[in-house]
Amino acid sequence: MFSKLNPLKKTDKGSSTHTGFDPYEVLEVRHLTADSFSLRIERRDLVFKAGQCFNVGPMGAIVNREYSIYSGESEPYLEFLIKLVKDGAVSSKLHSLKKGDLVEVAGPYGLFTLNQKNISQNKYVFIATGTGIAPFHSYVKSNPGLNYQIIHGVREARDQHDKATYEPARYTACVSREKGEWFNGRVTEYLKDRALDKDAYYYICGNRKMISEVFDLLTSKQISGDRIITEVFF
Amino acid sequence: MKIAISYPPIINEFGQKAMVSQNRNVQYFKTPTYLLPVIHAQAATWLKQLGFEVLWDDGNAQLKTYDKWFSDLVKAKPDVVVLESTTPVMKFYWNTVGEIKKALPNTIVVMTGYHSMRKPLETLEKSATDVVLRSNHIDFSLSKLIPFIAKDKNWRDTCTVDGFVIRTNTGSFRDTGNFKQVEPLENSPIIDRDLVEWKRYAFENGNYLQTPGTYATSVIRDCMFGKCTFCRYNGPDLTFSMMPVEKSLDEYQMLIEKYGVKEIFDDSGVWYRGAEARQFAKGIIERGLHKKGCYFGFNTRFEYLDEDTIKLLAEANFRFVLIGLEAVDEETLRRLNKGYLPHHIEKTLATMVKYGLHPHLTIMVGYYWQTQEQLDLTVKTVKHLMFSGLARTLQVTICTPLDYTPYHMECIDNGVLLTQDYNDHDMSRIIVKTPLAHDQYYKAIREMYSVAFDPRFILRQMRYLLTFTKRDWQFLFTYGIRAVRRVRNHLFNLTERQSLDAPKPQASPAAQTPR
Repeated sequence: MFSKLNPLKKTDKGSSTHTGFDPYEVLEVRHLTADSFSLRIERRDLVFKAGQCFNVGPMGAIVNREYSIYSGESEPYLEFLIKLVKDGAVSSKLHSLKKGDLVEVAGPYGLFTLNQKNISQNKYVFIATGTGIAPFHSYVKSNPGLNYQIIHGVREARDQHDKATYEPARYTACVSREKGEWFNGRVTEYLKDRALDKDAYYYICGNRKMISEVFDLLTSKQISGDRIITEVFF
Repeated sequence: MKIAISYPPIINEFGQKAMVSQNRNVQYFKTPTYLLPVIHAQAATWLKQLGFEVLWDDGNAQLKTYDKWFSDLVKAKPDVVVLESTTPVMKFYWNTVGEIKKALPNTIVVMTGYHSMRKPLETLEKSATDVVLRSNHIDFSLSKLIPFIAKDKNWRDTCTVDGFVIRTNTGSFRDTGNFKQVEPLENSPIIDRDLVEWKRYAFENGNYLQTPGTYATSVIRDCMFGKCTFCRYNGPDLTFSMMPVEKSLDEYQMLIEKYGVKEIFDDSGVWYRGAEARQFAKGIIERGLHKKGCYFGFNTRFEYLDEDTIKLLAEANFRFVLIGLEAVDEETLRRLNKGYLPHHIEKTLATMVKYGLHPHLTIMVGYYWQTQEQLDLTVKTVKHLMFSGLARTLQVTICTPLDYTPYHMECIDNGVLLTQDYNDHDMSRIIVKTPLAHDQYYKAIREMYSVAFDPRFILRQMRYLLTFTKRDWQFLFTYGIRAVRRVRNHLFNLTERQSLDAPKPQASPAAQTPR
């Protein structure tokens, strides 16, 4: 009457055999700007897909938050790019961590991943604001030879975190509050006058207002909604 | 143009009505619970504001029989009928669409809902439906589609608005592309309470301690987390949208001052957290709404609210906090992508109770991998939480794969689904192969519901009277009586319809499989 339990296909969701419920040791906290930092922790045997996220919380607290993975699938650690929220219950505590401290981690999960079919033949346009670049950083680190363009909206030039990761010709900064060798303005202003490739896939990550506006802009330029994938950052 | 937003009454052979329940799934109940379909209510409001004649046609809340509902609809002769479907009532809806088109051949039928949005071609092929929405943003989609139809007779061939699959004049289907996932919720109107006859939903809802109660216009669509595999607010095509705090506060003020509402619940998949939650609570206090005798409630997740925020919410007169405790074992939490750690459950609830909130647990059993040990742990933990006063009420359901959620797809891929009949997805019985006899899960559900009759639970509630807070007295003497009625209702469902061999519910009169 009852069948045996069918085992899950572990590779389907990028989950691992590790429960993910033990504390993880902090390897490094890089203080990038006044309101952003990266948190690097040990990885152990966790398996994930670029674009997924983990819930990360300070030890013993009753709160955690979802953070997209910033590091690559093959790197020996897990890294998150985090915006420091004023009076934030989680980010402010994570910001003050030191090497050797512990954090609680659950995951990975999420479907904001690259379509694995024809990944090497596809063209991608990644549009981000602020720390919304995290999943794209992970895509690029995980997929050498990826055919991509990044359009990164930031307030100040110093918010272009780890810019050296990207080939210069593939990275465009849209800096809204500072003039320089970059595009001066918002990503929407940058995209408005550009010809867009209808065959590319457009991934958008960042604040909801930007995502909403960019979606409208892309569809007004005849980019099909089927080629637009979005993820809101808080 | 006249637009009907319609909910036909669906009644099975046990005399139970199909109603929206846990995770907004459809369940059949004898005891009524009328939940306002919030997004459709926003759509109705928006269309009215655009100048269309809108017929709010909820046959369930309007206490109509199917025949009465149908004849009233035919008399009204709407140009467009909008329906909302989900897996266990798909066949009913396909048949109903046929009936509508027979009686009103020129009426355009639009199907919305999470099942059809994931399988639009299925609904177009199995019914006479004209348009299927691929979008969860019913309000935004209809506010673009209906004006387009009104101005262009050839809309079937010319409509370029994203997010629809349309039956063309030649009978083929035209897909206008994926929908816009993130909409600015500030642009969708606050629900017109008079249009949707809000009082019909203000009393028959087990979650209200005081009436009249109402559902707020949701501040989050669909879910800020959106990763739980069993939940319809999860999929590669979904993210979430958020309404500005001030707009929601304005609505709360209006509901209290104009309509005299005594309890407001926000049924967003997960309500605000962090800065927005604190800003909202502060706004309630600054406007003096916390002293108007109205309770507030919302859905949340473990590990979403810190102690400072919980304290502030309690000060703002929040009471009811609905929180998912889908399991306690690590394997199940990991498989479900729950994103919380079991050792935080008790601490989170203790913090809520400390400040006077009433946590309500929503528990699920019957996962296709669930062992006796995992099941026992759930039951043991739930009993402990209820007996120790860390949770005030609970709700237990069978985890049912539906609406092509990741869990549903997983059940299909792993070959564990026991039925191909959509009618069986109504949460009344387990429909997956499990390592235990199904009876074991039903027994666990009965055991958890029976907590309500246990002297230890009753004694704990009486001890709460010593706090001399109004809500605790109301809880025992008002809510308690209603709760017993509802628990009996849940137990009835399990004893009558727990086997797939038992008679299948026949949603009458129009629920036969369409040909």
